[in-house]
Amino acid sequence: MSFFPSAAWLKELDEKHQLFTERLEDPLAFEGGQFHFSAKDNLCARDFQARAGSLILKGYRPPFDATPIKRLRENGGLLLGKTNMDEYGFGSFSTNSAYGIPRNPFDIERCCGGSSGGAAATASLIRDHVALGVSTGGSISCPSSFCGVVGLTPTYGRVSRWGLIDYGNSLDKVGLISRTVRDIEQYLPVIAGPDHRDPTSQVQPPLDLRGEVRTVGVPEEARTGLSPEVAGAFEEALRDLQRSGIVVREVRMPSLRFAISTYYILATSEASTNLARYCGMRFGAMNENFDQGFNDFFSDTRSRDFGTEAKRRILLGTFSRMVGFRNKYYVKALQVRKQIIRDYQKVMEDCDVVLTPTMPFVAPRFDEIERMKPLEMYQADYLTCPPNLTGMPHLSIPCGYAHGMPIGMQAVAPHWQEGTLLSFARSWEGSFHYRFPEVAE
Amino acid sequence: MKIGLEIHVQLPTRSKLFCGCSTGGDAPNSMVCPVCLGFPGSRPFLNRRALEMGVLITKFLNCKITDRIWFSRKTYFYPDLPKNFQITQYESALGFDGHFMVGEKRIGIWRVHLEEDPGRVKRVGRAGEEVSLIDYNRSGVPLVEIVTAPDLSSPAEARDFLTDLIIELRRLIGVSGEEQTMRVDANISIGEDRVEIKNITGLKNVEKGLKSEVTRQTKLLAVGKRIVRETRHYDESRGVTLPGREKEQEADYGYIGEPDLGTYRIGPLAESMVVPETPLVRAQRMQKEHGISAQAARQIVLTDWELADLFESLSRRVGGDTAMSWTMGPISSGWKVLKANTDGSWKKVTDIVEAVSEGSMSDSEGRLRIAALSGGHEIEGINNGPSTDLDGLIVRLVDQHPEVVKDFKKGNEKAANFLIGQVMKETRGQFASKVIAEKMKRELGKRV
Repeated sequence: MSFFPSAAWLKELDEKHQLFTERLEDPLAFEGGQFHFSAKDNLCARDFQARAGSLILKGYRPPFDATPIKRLRENGGLLLGKTNMDEYGFGSFSTNSAYGIPRNPFDIERCCGGSSGGAAATASLIRDHVALGVSTGGSISCPSSFCGVVGLTPTYGRVSRWGLIDYGNSLDKVGLISRTVRDIEQYLPVIAGPDHRDPTSQVQPPLDLRGEVRTVGVPEEARTGLSPEVAGAFEEALRDLQRSGIVVREVRMPSLRFAISTYYILATSEASTNLARYCGMRFGAMNENFDQGFNDFFSDTRSRDFGTEAKRRILLGTFSRMVGFRNKYYVKALQVRKQIIRDYQKVMEDCDVVLTPTMPFVAPRFDEIERMKPLEMYQADYLTCPPNLTGMPHLSIPCGYAHGMPIGMQAVAPHWQEGTLLSFARSWEGSFHYRFPEVAE
Repeated sequence: MKIGLEIHVQLPTRSKLFCGCSTGGDAPNSMVCPVCLGFPGSRPFLNRRALEMGVLITKFLNCKITDRIWFSRKTYFYPDLPKNFQITQYESALGFDGHFMVGEKRIGIWRVHLEEDPGRVKRVGRAGEEVSLIDYNRSGVPLVEIVTAPDLSSPAEARDFLTDLIIELRRLIGVSGEEQTMRVDANISIGEDRVEIKNITGLKNVEKGLKSEVTRQTKLLAVGKRIVRETRHYDESRGVTLPGREKEQEADYGYIGEPDLGTYRIGPLAESMVVPETPLVRAQRMQKEHGISAQAARQIVLTDWELADLFESLSRRVGGDTAMSWTMGPISSGWKVLKANTDGSWKKVTDIVEAVSEGSMSDSEGRLRIAALSGGHEIEGINNGPSTDLDGLIVRLVDQHPEVVKDFKKGNEKAANFLIGQVMKETRGQFASKVIAEKMKRELGKRV
């Protein structure tokens, strides 16, 4: 290593750290407000850069607030800061950020999960804090599971996406992550509700926080491919549920195995069009080489400032919607998506929620992640992708621990029934003992 | 020869298609916001008025209306396109399979859809040192695109089609009649292969561009060469078409649905809409109903909508031919003033024409009276004196002219004409001469 830290540099860093931890002890004492929250960096706020983990948005200060941020602020919320994430949400471990990698509070050699990794870590570390997360294909559930916190992904359209930097617009959902379901219950009504700036939010029925879970459906397909720790914790949780009087029903959902490929085709198709606007002019990273032709101009910026995974997904998505492939991939995926929704709806005729583990393993170590191929990484989302494709609300809640690392389970409810999930989580919380990371002072 | 057109018409809404920005910006980049600049985190919301206008046009063009519509993203990189995709309609359109009549010829309409306009690129500076300036005021302005079947058979017919279409749309939704309101892509095939001339502004240029393309293709065919299927551009200044850049010919726009806008049910909306009568439709009806020539009907309607109203009410009273000659003659020559005269003097015009046609007023008197109604200060007199006491005036005049009474008593009925003339002069055509004469004779009779 050719870098030797100077004493002055160390001192400065130490002071910054000191200030930061002091403020986190009691943030409201510093800046006022009735509660504090954080926002994933793909949500726009006037007073912070919005970079969505991407170098191409370096320095971008949005001229408006995202609706969920605006509503929390109007209700006494203090926005502490923005949380790190995979570039545009492209990842499951938050390792695809241009601005450093957040580490798991339970074990800093391990990842936080992604793409709302920073949000889940923040929720896990700071007491009485609520973190705004965003899920496209599992980006709230996954890090919530890895960081031992509760993460709610509301129904698609429940929370306005005005001010959310798009990944896959037909899939993106703003949700909440916190240590307990109590906070989520408190702030969901604040951020939910119609907004004329997001037409997809305007068709929602009123939010009902009530609900009851008597029967859970557990798909057979979700019990394969699990690590022994996760399988063990999940079976234990099912026994606990049965003991508390809940009926556990085994169900079959064969279409689940198509979810990953369907998701990646749809999400990347949309993402590749969303990312077309980043071309080195108007906002974000600017390209000053004005003597180039436009094609060279934007290719320059995009080659330089998009990360590897972003480029991979742009190529994948562009390919899926090209003439000659469009019907085979994009149009087909739209059909499969409908089939998956029907499968869930059928199961939900007899069950109040569908229950699975959230992730097939505990938070992996960074060296393990380095050895994984992209496809293996994508496969890790096989339980979190399906509900995201359906637009149904889902919630990840800790259900056990193995070697000090948290394990989560994920409940999926019918469209607009966030109340069912919250009531399920409430009763689970009543008997389950949470653990939170101990941070060395 | 087959010609098909893709016509882009700017809808005259006050705000843009997907945001609240005004469509009428002057200074470059003064009417822009995060939505029409494609800023991250912004998203479109549909302008209902634009949708309504689009649906009305679609219904007017006799299309089958799509019950549920959605939008698509057409992706291509260009500096005037802020998101580097355009929100348009692809599989979905407002309607399909309509038609539009140009005279007696039926031109098929394949589809009508809504889309947003990109911004504008301006090249400035001396040759060799040019720079591009981009104005995003136009970005997001609503357009309706009308795609015709290749039913047009000459450049002149294409121009007639566009002329008639804009006449109708101007009345229907108030599109401005300016040349740049209409941008056209023209497809033309003389032989087997089709050539597309992209982005021609204005009707005249469409005809010129097509003509020059006909000449070019005819020459090629004459020497046995093949016409290449391609995209060309019309160079207004040189009056010729030039081949487009290679890339455009391979364009693959990678269409996907626009997920932010969802679907809109326009079936019931279209059902509830009544298509008002448009000028050329009216001309056609007038031709049949009033038995006048197609050319005359068109001329009246295009001169002024209310002139046509007057013609029709005249025609119902005095017949088409008489109404025609009066309308195109004395009435239209003083039309500006007559029309500005909002106190109901039209009623008087019809009375005059009716009186002449019944024979109770001479033709020249009728012309004089209409001229009086439409002539500057006389009109003022009439305006000031709607309450003129005709009976009182007659009594006064008769009192002042005992010699007339004397003549009249002797049996010389023509003696009354002098006084009738006086009354008419005083009342400036307010009353029909027939009425004045009757009253005058009655008054004179009393004195006998």
